[in-house]
Amino acid sequence: MRTRFRNMSLQIKLTSISLVANLFVFFINIVLLAGINIMSRRIDTVYQANLQLNELSVSLNQVQDSMTEYLNAKTSDSLENYYRSTQVYSEQAEELSQVVTGRLLDRMEYSIRNMSEAYLNEVAQTIEAKRGRNVEKYRSHYEEATKLYGYISTYIYSLNNEQFKENSENYREMVSAFKTFEQGGNLILIAVIIVNALLILRLTANLISPLKTLAGRADEVGKGNFDLEPLPEMSRDEVGVVTGAFNQMVISIQDYIRQVRESAETERKLKEKELMMEAHLKDAQLKYLQAQINPHFLFNTLNAGAQLAMMEGADRTYEYVQVMAEFFRYNVKKGSKTVTIGEEIELVDNYIYILNVRFSGDILYEKEIDSSLMNVKMPSMILQPIVENCVNHGIRDMMGEGRIKMKVYRQDDKACISIEDNGIGMSQEMIDGLLNGTPIAGTKKESNGIGMDNVIARLKLFVGDDDVIHIESEGEGKGSKFIMYLSTDSRETADV
Amino acid sequence: MTPKNRKYNSIFIGLITLVIVALTIVLVINFIRYSRRFGISNDDTAYDRYYVMITDNSNSSFWQSVYRSALETAESNNDCLEMISDNLSRDYSVYELMEIASISGVDGIIVNADYSEEMTELIDRATANGIQVVTIYNDNSSSERLSYVGMSNYNLGKQYGELILKLAQEKNFTTDTIEVVIFADTKPGDAGQNLMFTAVQETVDAEPDEMRETHPPFDITIYGVDTTNEFSVEESIKTFLLKDRESLPEIVVCLNEMDTIAAYQTVVDYNEVGLVNILGYYDSEVILNGIDRNVIYATISADTEQMGRYSVNALDEYFRYGYTSQYFTSDISVITKDNVAQYMGEDTDEN
Repeated sequence: MRTRFRNMSLQIKLTSISLVANLFVFFINIVLLAGINIMSRRIDTVYQANLQLNELSVSLNQVQDSMTEYLNAKTSDSLENYYRSTQVYSEQAEELSQVVTGRLLDRMEYSIRNMSEAYLNEVAQTIEAKRGRNVEKYRSHYEEATKLYGYISTYIYSLNNEQFKENSENYREMVSAFKTFEQGGNLILIAVIIVNALLILRLTANLISPLKTLAGRADEVGKGNFDLEPLPEMSRDEVGVVTGAFNQMVISIQDYIRQVRESAETERKLKEKELMMEAHLKDAQLKYLQAQINPHFLFNTLNAGAQLAMMEGADRTYEYVQVMAEFFRYNVKKGSKTVTIGEEIELVDNYIYILNVRFSGDILYEKEIDSSLMNVKMPSMILQPIVENCVNHGIRDMMGEGRIKMKVYRQDDKACISIEDNGIGMSQEMIDGLLNGTPIAGTKKESNGIGMDNVIARLKLFVGDDDVIHIESEGEGKGSKFIMYLSTDSRETADV
Repeated sequence: MTPKNRKYNSIFIGLITLVIVALTIVLVINFIRYSRRFGISNDDTAYDRYYVMITDNSNSSFWQSVYRSALETAESNNDCLEMISDNLSRDYSVYELMEIASISGVDGIIVNADYSEEMTELIDRATANGIQVVTIYNDNSSSERLSYVGMSNYNLGKQYGELILKLAQEKNFTTDTIEVVIFADTKPGDAGQNLMFTAVQETVDAEPDEMRETHPPFDITIYGVDTTNEFSVEESIKTFLLKDRESLPEIVVCLNEMDTIAAYQTVVDYNEVGLVNILGYYDSEVILNGIDRNVIYATISADTEQMGRYSVNALDEYFRYGYTSQYFTSDISVITKDNVAQYMGEDTDEN
């Protein structure tokens, strides 16, 4: 039953709900109307008694009239009338009450019945006497009969009155009962209407509630939440169909999203792979380039040159070649390793020596070193490129004596390395460009090919702090100063 | 709404529907049952015997009181008793009512009779029809009536006589004679009434000599009150009492309730209080008030309860045993200013 109801279409459901409600009201109405009907029929039957009394009265009159007529005219017609009316009257009188009860109407009927007997007797005697032409006798009987007729008439009249009185009384009670019934009926109808409203509310709520949940879900989906449990299908009506379709739609959307996500993932993976391939390629290229320079060959060659110079007694040449071999070996050996400040300073020393030999002692190189900091760790190939930068951009193109000053000192818990030149200096724009790693127009890459941006980036990565290097310049022609701040902790970690 | 709630909800609505249907059915059934009863008196007990009571002035409180008592007795014996004149739309005379009763199949008649031949004939005819007749208050001893219920007229007369003597002693009458007028029915041949007049006369005559000398002599006369129709009584008494003040009687004696009230009202209306002393009959509220206000000197009351009871018992005894006593005498009580209070209390209860 329930499932069958569920499977009906909305239209049929709504129709059947209103049909049930209306049938309920109709049923109650029919019952109430039936009550009223029965009541009004009762009223009819009650007044029936009055009607009967009236008939009795008419019959009595007919008896009296026919008797009088017979006495007057003595026609056979009137005699016939007399017999007929007597018959009718006595039959009607027979129906009156035969017992004396507490009910006045019964007693009066009883009296009328008895009086009627006496009256009919008297009338019969009158007719008899008339037939026997006994004038004296029929006159006295006639008078007696007429007197009785008067009594009976009064009785019937009074009884009628009493009956009417009682009926009126009853009628009043009836009316009040009617009123009570009407009120009761109204109350019941009101109750029925309320229950009907509840019933309709309840049934329509049943219809609407899946629609409401569906609307809520749709709203959520509209807000972009696709991660939803499928809705249960309560019924197989239109709402049920829509719910099913909605569920299907949500599942389809979920599927689609998953597919999109998966394809994005594979694309990302592909790109990553491509990048790695490129990196590997670069790496391979670098290895290839590095492999072209055979350090052993270079060192052996340079060593052979140095030995040759020693044998020829050219000590300065010997030293120069020796330093150069040292310089290149550092490049090859420590290219990508962490080194100590001492090792870096040694490389700078070698570089300056080589330059001074090349440019016949143009560069004045000063050192001011706190030797306790010599073991502080730092990335390799940092100081030499900075010095190279100072030489290339600072003092090469200037007139007069170029000077480079290197200081290593302790400040707070930091090891500071400052490299200062008296060259052409740098504009603030250039400083910012260097520090932010943006290429500066007009700068040429030379020497070991390690640019300043590379140096600064590596320093930052090593220390893990952007504020690792400061560049100061007081303007054009006033030189520039590089200061690096290294954590002294790195020495300890390096020691371990 | 959880499914559980929903279930309870369904049960709740179902229950309410059932209750409403049940209520409707109960209402309709009650209504039908009520309407079935409609028009049928619930009192349909069948009685053993059917008696009627016939009196003139059946609405007077005297006869109502008698009727109430008789009805009570009748009902306790499962007899039906009714005052037939109450139910008829026309006013019939006592004779006509007797005639009606004798042909309407009653078992017994209680009638306030008189000594007329017509009454005798009617009683005899009824008796011939197998209907037993009991006379009450007024007798018709020459008829075939079963019993008489009432006061002893001789005793009644004696009481009035004594009251007249008492009045003569109390009031210092300065007239030549003390005129006493007894209002009597004009119905002919009332032996009871005659007996009473005799008793009055005898009592007055028997007054001791030493007392007789203290007041003027009595002059007792009888005034016939016209009872030909309902209103003639009052007119007749009023006419009698509206004389010039000198010729008014000192004492009037009324032998029934109507006469007493008429005399009382006239004396009050025409400012004759103190001039006429009324000796009344019966103890209705109006009469008791009259005594209380010193307008009526005294009244003599029959025990209406006894009268009613005796009359029905007489009939029942006859039907049960085949015979009964011919006379039932009810008690007499004299009410004066001294003891009126206790009767007034009783009377308000009754009315």
